[in-house]
Amino acid sequence: MKEEKESNSESKSADLLHQFEQILESNPLIDEVGFIHPSQFAKLYEEAGDDIAIPSSADATFWSRDHKLGVSTQVLLPLYTAAKHAFMAAIGEYKRFGDDVVSDDRVESEVMMHSRALLLLSSDFGTAWNSRKLVVSKKQHLSKFMDELLLSELVLSYSPKSDHAWSHRRWVIKLVGGKCSTLQEIVRKESELVEKIAERSKMNYRAWNHRCWLVSYMTREQVLHELKKSRNWAELHVADNCCFHYRSRLMLRILKDLSCKQENASSDYVEIHKVWKEELDWNEMLIKRYIGREALWLHRRFLSLCWMEQFATDLCNASCHSEQKTSISTVFGSFVDNELRLLDSCSTVLSNDFDDFQAQATLSATYILWLTKQIPEFQSELQEKKLTAGNLKSMLSKMCPERSCLWDSLMGLDGNV
Amino acid sequence: MGELAAKKHVQYILSVEKRKDDLVSVVMEHLRMNGAYWGLTTLDLLGKLDNVDVDKVVSWVMECQHESGGFGGNIGHDPHILYTLSAVQILALFDKLNVLDVDKVTNYIAGLQNEDGSFSGDMWGEVDTRFSYISLCCLSILRRLNKINAEKAVNYIVSCKNLDGGFGSTPGGESHAGQIFCCVGALALTGSLHHIDKDLLGWWLCERQVKSGGLNGRPEKLPDVCYSWWVLSSLIMIDRVHWINKEKLVQYILDCQDTENGGISDRPDDAVDVYHTYFGVAGLSLLEYPGLKAIDPAYALPVDVVNRIFFGK
Repeated sequence: MKEEKESNSESKSADLLHQFEQILESNPLIDEVGFIHPSQFAKLYEEAGDDIAIPSSADATFWSRDHKLGVSTQVLLPLYTAAKHAFMAAIGEYKRFGDDVVSDDRVESEVMMHSRALLLLSSDFGTAWNSRKLVVSKKQHLSKFMDELLLSELVLSYSPKSDHAWSHRRWVIKLVGGKCSTLQEIVRKESELVEKIAERSKMNYRAWNHRCWLVSYMTREQVLHELKKSRNWAELHVADNCCFHYRSRLMLRILKDLSCKQENASSDYVEIHKVWKEELDWNEMLIKRYIGREALWLHRRFLSLCWMEQFATDLCNASCHSEQKTSISTVFGSFVDNELRLLDSCSTVLSNDFDDFQAQATLSATYILWLTKQIPEFQSELQEKKLTAGNLKSMLSKMCPERSCLWDSLMGLDGNV
Repeated sequence: MGELAAKKHVQYILSVEKRKDDLVSVVMEHLRMNGAYWGLTTLDLLGKLDNVDVDKVVSWVMECQHESGGFGGNIGHDPHILYTLSAVQILALFDKLNVLDVDKVTNYIAGLQNEDGSFSGDMWGEVDTRFSYISLCCLSILRRLNKINAEKAVNYIVSCKNLDGGFGSTPGGESHAGQIFCCVGALALTGSLHHIDKDLLGWWLCERQVKSGGLNGRPEKLPDVCYSWWVLSSLIMIDRVHWINKEKLVQYILDCQDTENGGISDRPDDAVDVYHTYFGVAGLSLLEYPGLKAIDPAYALPVDVVNRIFFGK
């Protein structure tokens, strides 16, 4: 009796899997998968204007329209179990064929079909991703590789943080990158994909990490274009540190290119100087507009550190002419003046009731303290301007007493920087 | 102030082990090896490892090993370095490292080192500083660090250092407390902590503590109990743990307990899981919470287990 019941439910699960795979097979353009509660099915049918054949919620399993596929949360467990068994059986058979036999097309397509179903239910099932790599790399067809990018994108539509799905893309790109002339096109599309996913999935480390990885494959033009494009995005997502890190990655790439290059270096230098200055101004504008945002201040730490190291601290360089030295020293002085004005305008806590203003004041004072620790010239300039560490410390201890251990350690108990 | 519901957590972990047919447990089955490590280490820290059938666990672990020497996340799953470390750590917990063919595991790991010193996670070539830590930790436990090029491994990790003092997964990757733990741990295991600007990194790490006392893993993120481990262990390794407020962190972790059914969650009142239960208990252990065994911040194993490996006691 029990056995009969089990085999009955097994065959039901197999039917489910078959149905699921049929839908995927018949509509290769499906670009989004989601899991929906049975009670939501009726609503989906209603919204789509289907007044015919609305299934009762007990029968509703799959919903597909406009290249979107919904799977009922009620069938996930039996569907997953069936997909896993089918996949494990197929990959087992595939591996038994070994390398010496030109593997059977049937087994191969079963591996691909079942691994796809499985990955759409369990995005980090590594063995299923690997099986696809195995099959595709034996085939070496460009179109098969590109299909993998599509599947990965589909998986990311329901699981945007899937480590394996992102990694699978890099595996594909590394392999096709050398072979095809469309690498730049792929890089462009990848970057757009990250942006699309980042919109729905905030501060997605895996997604932005992928975009950072792309930077080494970009041409200089692409880097500049990305810098321009991501600026708008960053303005709309000022708390998303990932995007600011991405911008710092792009900017460092431009700097690195400059240091590797000899010809036309001076015109590039001027351009980079401009890029940096614009970023500093833009960041300052954002800091004043969006009060108390940590990501904006951390980005400023990065910008100022590089700015001073790159453009304003060649003071001791013996090869400098004295004219240059004077001009560098002026640039440096006015930079420090500007940062102190910023501190001044941000450290006035208008009202103790507002956490944001408190945060802004703490972040601004921490920022100045951070620079004094990283750049010795900055510290000596501050002392000339009569801003002592004691002032900073009393500010920080008042505004942010919870970090008093840090302030004490950094500045000594008596307030010496 | 609430206390650690140690008994409940033990019950919770033992119950998870038995639960095999709901959706949450089946979609995690590909990383059961990691789950086993989290659960068993928690039990050991709570002094209750003797509730487990050692032979059963060890034979299951060994069934996950492949011809290549690497371990899968479960029986029939492909090998990966992520599961290989967990397998080795589990065997170390039970003092069963002697069941391993050490050369075989060593060869698997050494074979994953790349020309630039980095490590791939498996034969498919994804590179990440997490894999560097795992390799170095595994080989150190097996006392085979001499089988790889440790100098190059260190240089690769240093190349992933950012201007904020933190580390990313590859050169130019964003700083993340989890990646920082891996890089600091790897440098600690190879005696290379001098590559770190401790004040700079310590500053970034202690800025992870938010008002509630909990730690986040990156700027602007919500606190999460798992960072009690990643951030705290890093701060200890670089000797800057006195920069954070320990009392508030203890309180935050205790607030994330399910005092009725056991287990710890990422944030107060969320659903508990083994992963956060382990990191919560391990964090409390680093904070010297009474009644818990001490845990080693670099090996992520109880200190007595580490001592047994290296000093045979």
